Amino acid sequence: MSTTLTKTHKKALIERLNVFTAFGLGILCAVVAWKLSLALLPQDSEAAPLFTREDKITLISMIAWFVGFMTGIGALIAPFRWALGKDLSHDENMYYAGKDLGVKRYFKFTTDHKVVGIQYLVITMVIFGIGGILAMLIRTNLGTPEGGWIHPQAYNSIVGTHGIIMIVGTIIMVTGPFGNYIMPIMIGARDMAYPRLNALSFWLIVAASIPLIWGQFIGGISTGWSAYNPLAGQAPLGMNGYIMFICIFAISTMVAGANITTTVVKMRARGMTWNRTPIFIYGTVASVALALPAFPVFFLSQVMSGMDRALGTSFYDTARGGSGWLYENLFWLMGHPEVYVILIPAVAALMEMAPVFTRRPLFSFNVAVMGIAGISGLSILVWAHHMYMSGWAPLLNAPFMLTTELISIPTGMLFLVLVGTLWRGRLWMTVPLMSIMALLWNFMIGGITGIYLSDVPADAFLHGSMFVTAHFHYTLMGAGLTGAIASLVYWFPKMTGRMLDKKLSWISFWLVQIGFNVAFIGMFIVGLQGQPRRVEAYAAIFNRGNLITTIGAYTIMIGMLILLQNVISSWRSGQKAPMNPWQAKTLEWTVPNPVPLENFAELPVVTSDAYGYGRKN
Amino acid sequence: MSLDTHAHSNPHHEHPDVVGSRNRMGVILLIVADASFALSMMFVFFYLKSQNVNDMWLPKATEDKAAIEPISSMGSWNITAICLIGLIAHYYGLRGVRKRNQTQLKLGGLIAFVASLVALVYQVNIMATVPFTFHEGAYVACFYLIAIMNIVHILLTILISFGNWFRSTKGIYLHDHWHVDIVNVWWTWMVVSSLLGAFALSFAK
Repeated sequence: MSTTLTKTHKKALIERLNVFTAFGLGILCAVVAWKLSLALLPQDSEAAPLFTREDKITLISMIAWFVGFMTGIGALIAPFRWALGKDLSHDENMYYAGKDLGVKRYFKFTTDHKVVGIQYLVITMVIFGIGGILAMLIRTNLGTPEGGWIHPQAYNSIVGTHGIIMIVGTIIMVTGPFGNYIMPIMIGARDMAYPRLNALSFWLIVAASIPLIWGQFIGGISTGWSAYNPLAGQAPLGMNGYIMFICIFAISTMVAGANITTTVVKMRARGMTWNRTPIFIYGTVASVALALPAFPVFFLSQVMSGMDRALGTSFYDTARGGSGWLYENLFWLMGHPEVYVILIPAVAALMEMAPVFTRRPLFSFNVAVMGIAGISGLSILVWAHHMYMSGWAPLLNAPFMLTTELISIPTGMLFLVLVGTLWRGRLWMTVPLMSIMALLWNFMIGGITGIYLSDVPADAFLHGSMFVTAHFHYTLMGAGLTGAIASLVYWFPKMTGRMLDKKLSWISFWLVQIGFNVAFIGMFIVGLQGQPRRVEAYAAIFNRGNLITTIGAYTIMIGMLILLQNVISSWRSGQKAPMNPWQAKTLEWTVPNPVPLENFAELPVVTSDAYGYGRKN
Repeated sequence: MSLDTHAHSNPHHEHPDVVGSRNRMGVILLIVADASFALSMMFVFFYLKSQNVNDMWLPKATEDKAAIEPISSMGSWNITAICLIGLIAHYYGLRGVRKRNQTQLKLGGLIAFVASLVALVYQVNIMATVPFTFHEGAYVACFYLIAIMNIVHILLTILISFGNWFRSTKGIYLHDHWHVDIVNVWWTWMVVSSLLGAFALSFAK
């Protein structure tokens, strides 16, 4: 279906569908489902737990939204066409890929991996924007001991929503934009293995976001991001938004995991043996391969949570045979691997950049691979360290303490690779290089404080305090987000054809890093003093540390706003980027700007690794 | 990274075997995710059963209510058997298409499709006739969880097996049949997942 055809024929269905039809149909379905269920669902019986009817109505409406949205965006066309034996033609596939569609392709179910990468980049920035605003609300409320200007119930919801939004944002921040845009070119492929699944994984996130926003208007998420049951079972209707959000997001993650893994395993360029495959690819695959079995467990935990609320089952209700520990196990079976789902690609991206900005080969490629594999393997054996103080299986505390502390060995390997690459290199002082330094500093603090928390006696004192909050911010933000921002600076020229403004990049880098360390060192202090997390007011003795944290948070905000301004202005009118501004050796820098629809005129054949700096090949 | 940019390849027209092999891997990976979900369900079942919190795995009789008794697992095993018939029929069709016998493919595909419909009706019937409701203890919760997930699997199988059969009637698999191979992978998983549910429900007491 080329654009010339569209002028002479009546518009086909796939040409009509876009984000507006998706929202329209989604809203229509939700309203119809809501009206019908209001009219048809019987009142709760006396034997049934409270509010199940309202939960049923809410969940049915949200499911209807989801189905309507996915239908309206065009996600169901190809499966049904397959079932009816009317496979998409080459022209139709080209249309889906966004050929000749201009800017419209960003608002459609477009399959080109580069469009999906840009879509992911934008939605990641939106997610961080919303999560950041919520973070500033939290910190502003905690600016004085008495807090008080946000209602405690609303405050709880803000904390929970900030948590889950930022977790999702950090999960997709590297594998979404750069895993989609850069990875296929980096391995010498024309697209992902399953372009339609690729588009599906993105639009599922958009579909998921609405129930979460919807939930804010019907009671919010008052449980914190972990949504522990049975607390979540007693929470307001907004909890259903969380449940739907996680279920849809989990599907998106599974689909993306299968897609990225297959792409890398099956579609690498000729000659790109595993020893010649860039380390960023290893990090991306490890991340999504880890998510592949981990997120279904989270999905199940939320299906059961929804059944408890809407159908009155008792998975988590101890009075009727359920168990809160069951939820904790399922949640953390996903929850801890998820930390590495976030971290590994960010660190791998920085390892990818280290040789470029030191003009040296990556120090010990094999150790880097072993480190990534070791972290991935061990990460599924550590979940119960989150449950030391819950009373579940005390005899298992020691083994889980051991596995958790063992994970510092492969993590140390990654440090070794980064430091070894920097050592005696000819350092090119750019934001990506400084980000490596920042990661080493931040991740060291995050890692060492993690060892304290993995230790049962220390955890008995620190559990549930601001110390924990500071620790995981040091890992997810200090290491993860630092890697993601460096990736943005590094790959921005390839993705947009423009260079990010250097001066603004430096200013935002320093503001974010200084603000970050101020904010979370302050949080460590109040945590050690004993301030619990998730409180909207605190004793006066914690005032100084909280004030420091709030000042740091505002500094981060200013840095992030400058970064946002930099991205927008550079994208619109920045200096045009040459094909290979960093003189890097991976394949994405061999294609012109803008990258052609199918990336390569001729598929490349790789004859050496990507880190031959200082060699003559 | 050194390159030979004059490689001779024609990427726009990949061989069906290459596409088939790639798609097969993707389906297997999606099944890995689904298997993780199914095994987690097994964990939930046996965890709650072993904990028997407040003696409410199978609530005892009270003045108002009779004790909850687990239903016979035969129904679940029957569904597994129906799915197995579907798998065998599909495999029969697959062997046919490998020998370029389109009639065998169509027949196998049709039987497999019918088997998936029968499995759905049977599963819904079991759910509609059980002597308990959702909120009567942990076993009941697990029973419904397994049954609902089985229904979701069967619905997917109906779509897939219908497509497979309908496409075969249009002669789409005359030249290559990697779709049929991949549907076989799904049918195999369908049988295994159904078997897992039946296995768990056999240990309800």
